Amino acid sequence: MGNFELIWWVLALPVIGFLIQSLLGQRIVGLFGQTYGKKVAGTLAVLPIAAAFVLGAGLTLTLMDMPATSRSVVMTLFDWITVYSISIPFEVVIDPLSMTMVLVVTGIGSLIHLYATGYMAEERDYTRFFTYLNLFIAAMLILVLGNNLAMMFIGWEGVGLCSYLLIGFWYKDLANAKAANKAFITNRVGDWGFMLGMFAIVAFLGTNADRFPAGDGRYLSFDRMLPVLASLLSENPGIATLIALLLFVGAMGKSAQFPLYNWLPDAMAGPTPVSALIHAATMVTAGVVMVNRMHVVFEFSPVASGVVAVVGTFTALFAALIAFGQTDIKKVLAYSTVSQLGYMFVACGVGAYWAGMFHVVTHAFFKALLFLGSGAVIHAMSHEQDMRWYGNLRKYIPITTATMTVGWLAIIGVPYLFAGFYSKEAIIAAALGNHHATFLGGSTEFTGWLLLVGAALTTAYMTRMTLLTFGGAQGRWQQPETYEAAHADHHAHADHGHRAHAHHHGHAHDDPHGFFYTDEELARREALEPHEHHHHLTPDYKPKEVPVSMWVPLAVLALLSTGGTAYFMEHHHAFQHWLYPPFGGEHGTGLTMIKGHPVIDPEAISGHPHGMLGNKMALVGLSVAVMLIGLAYAWAVYGKRLPDKEGFDMSRWAKFRLWAMNQFGYDAFILKLLVYEGGKTVGNACAALDQKLVDGIVNLTGAVAQGLGGLARQAQTGYVRGYALVMLMGGVALLVYLVSALSGGAR
Amino acid sequence: MTGNNLADYLTLGLIMFSIGAVGVIVRRNPIVIFMCIELMLNAVNLTFLAFARFTPTSAALADRAESFMSGQMMVVFVMAVAAAEVAVGLGIIMAIYRLRNEIDIDEMNLLKG
Repeated sequence: MGNFELIWWVLALPVIGFLIQSLLGQRIVGLFGQTYGKKVAGTLAVLPIAAAFVLGAGLTLTLMDMPATSRSVVMTLFDWITVYSISIPFEVVIDPLSMTMVLVVTGIGSLIHLYATGYMAEERDYTRFFTYLNLFIAAMLILVLGNNLAMMFIGWEGVGLCSYLLIGFWYKDLANAKAANKAFITNRVGDWGFMLGMFAIVAFLGTNADRFPAGDGRYLSFDRMLPVLASLLSENPGIATLIALLLFVGAMGKSAQFPLYNWLPDAMAGPTPVSALIHAATMVTAGVVMVNRMHVVFEFSPVASGVVAVVGTFTALFAALIAFGQTDIKKVLAYSTVSQLGYMFVACGVGAYWAGMFHVVTHAFFKALLFLGSGAVIHAMSHEQDMRWYGNLRKYIPITTATMTVGWLAIIGVPYLFAGFYSKEAIIAAALGNHHATFLGGSTEFTGWLLLVGAALTTAYMTRMTLLTFGGAQGRWQQPETYEAAHADHHAHADHGHRAHAHHHGHAHDDPHGFFYTDEELARREALEPHEHHHHLTPDYKPKEVPVSMWVPLAVLALLSTGGTAYFMEHHHAFQHWLYPPFGGEHGTGLTMIKGHPVIDPEAISGHPHGMLGNKMALVGLSVAVMLIGLAYAWAVYGKRLPDKEGFDMSRWAKFRLWAMNQFGYDAFILKLLVYEGGKTVGNACAALDQKLVDGIVNLTGAVAQGLGGLARQAQTGYVRGYALVMLMGGVALLVYLVSALSGGAR
Repeated sequence: MTGNNLADYLTLGLIMFSIGAVGVIVRRNPIVIFMCIELMLNAVNLTFLAFARFTPTSAALADRAESFMSGQMMVVFVMAVAAAEVAVGLGIIMAIYRLRNEIDIDEMNLLKG
């Protein structure tokens, strides 16, 4: 295992890239001039990540050659924290889980870096962008490679910081700064849970320190901790539930699950490569990775597993419904990401942890592709993100259209030919398979059925997005009456609501299925999410295909999103057995030990449904059926506009769509509860506390001194005779004392 | 009164000192107060001299001047200091009189809290 030392280079390369960009970036751009300097700086940003990917791939191959039971190598760099008996070294673990994520992070990361060199070419703060992006890769690698919870936490916070910096990259726009703060603050809630989980583990293991080898304080290191946790938690399921739920709160924050999801859609304020890399492919899957890493804890807590499954299911459906109300192309993809993350958590909740990771990987492929594609569309449309102004783009940007179509087919799960099908199928099969104990009396079957509904919804909203963007006979920005109204109005008012008036003038009688919102609705929308529209398209605007640095990553990702990779990962349980090798463990727990790591016996949770659905083809048929339903619906409504032609009253649907657009009021509710009303209440309470209690104590100190001084003041009569008398009495008293003391001493 | 008894001198000093002290406290005219202070100082002087005169001398101490001279020396110091004090004090009283046209001690209560 000699060359595992290379893992330090995998970690160091993004750090080196970060240092180059941060310290020398501006000089490089200055030295070579804007055009070439940016190319040099961009190349220097891409190369370290690509090199890290190559090294990571080499390490993964080495790991694959090792026997399945010894695929876990711990490398220690130095002693990081030593407090009393606890020791936390700076150490990484090289095992299938970490290396899978290393490949995803560096592989997709380098593609997105390459894409960003084109996308951000006109950006003034070019090197600042790549500084953050390289730093993000470094932090993410620490997160996935760290061999203890503390190191994972560094990475966890590091990616949170980079996410904050990149969402607020265009910080001069207040909305972006607000979105960045929202992401950061919401993630704090999750981090709070993660930290409490970590402390609970330390406290719990600290009271059972005798289970560790004497003198070994590495309580938080996975190779030490997990086996001990496995044996301890099997005796203490209550503590397993506590720890698992706290850790899941952390996962909810980072991976945008229901109560804490609402930062992710706002995070779309960042540049599109950031959305693709951080808010779709890698960072938001950190929660799934963490649950996989700590799956022992979840294994022993049916309650926590049930919570994970239910939260995942709810999020998957909730976000899918919201996606129907979105008109911003990136927002649709953001809610789609939230929804897909829900799928991953359902997989973890029902015990098919490997399926969650499988979906992490395939989702990273196709969602990165979709985001980068949307970035290409936005680039081509001169930074217009609103799908209501798209249409018929297939004529102008064929490469983007072709690659995004692959992404669309992958996410809707076209059988066998595209990646999304395999992982989604694995998750639904595991959920229907109902092999995992949860608090729901052992039945997780309903989550499987609900996920099938979710699959239909996914198909429908993704088809809606694709049709609105690429379909149609004519681009909507070209329709003169729409344009002129918007244009005139823009000059007249120059306010955010000009689109509303555009609708009013241009589409009042031409909007039967409520595709455009009414004035009132748009005003509310703008009030909720104020946007600066810097770019306005003229009817003779011609979208341009993106440069080669942008479509090459699209093409590679499109290739990865086809069925090929996923087929080989799924074939003969290759990926499942890579993460969780079959080891014929004790069937009672479904757990087995591999080099000290307890892993689930894959045979115990095989993920094959019973009964009618035991036939794999039946499930495939069902999946295809729901996909076709979704396709048919979207085609009829958004493609053919059938309800419009049939004179169907869509006003009721418009109301629903508006409701969905506003996240069914959840975001506003949270804002009102926690920020406006709750924040005001807490603020008032704090102000009262400060003004009444703290200031009161300060004033009381003064008043006491004043009162005592007033008493002492009485002694100062100002009469000389008074002072003389006191002096005399003092002298007499002193004398009496001295005489008595001396006579006492003489005695 | 035989004039040979230490207690007699001390009693006289005590009486003089008490009269002086009471005078300082009860009188309002600073000149009188000064006179009382002089009385107290002289009571102390008398005491010094009495102690100096009646200090028992032993053979070992007989040839040491301080054994009986120190008390007398203190008296000379006290007289010198008293003269200086009177000079300064009368100067202050003159200044106050010029400023306020009166020297009643009870009217000078600027230190009243």
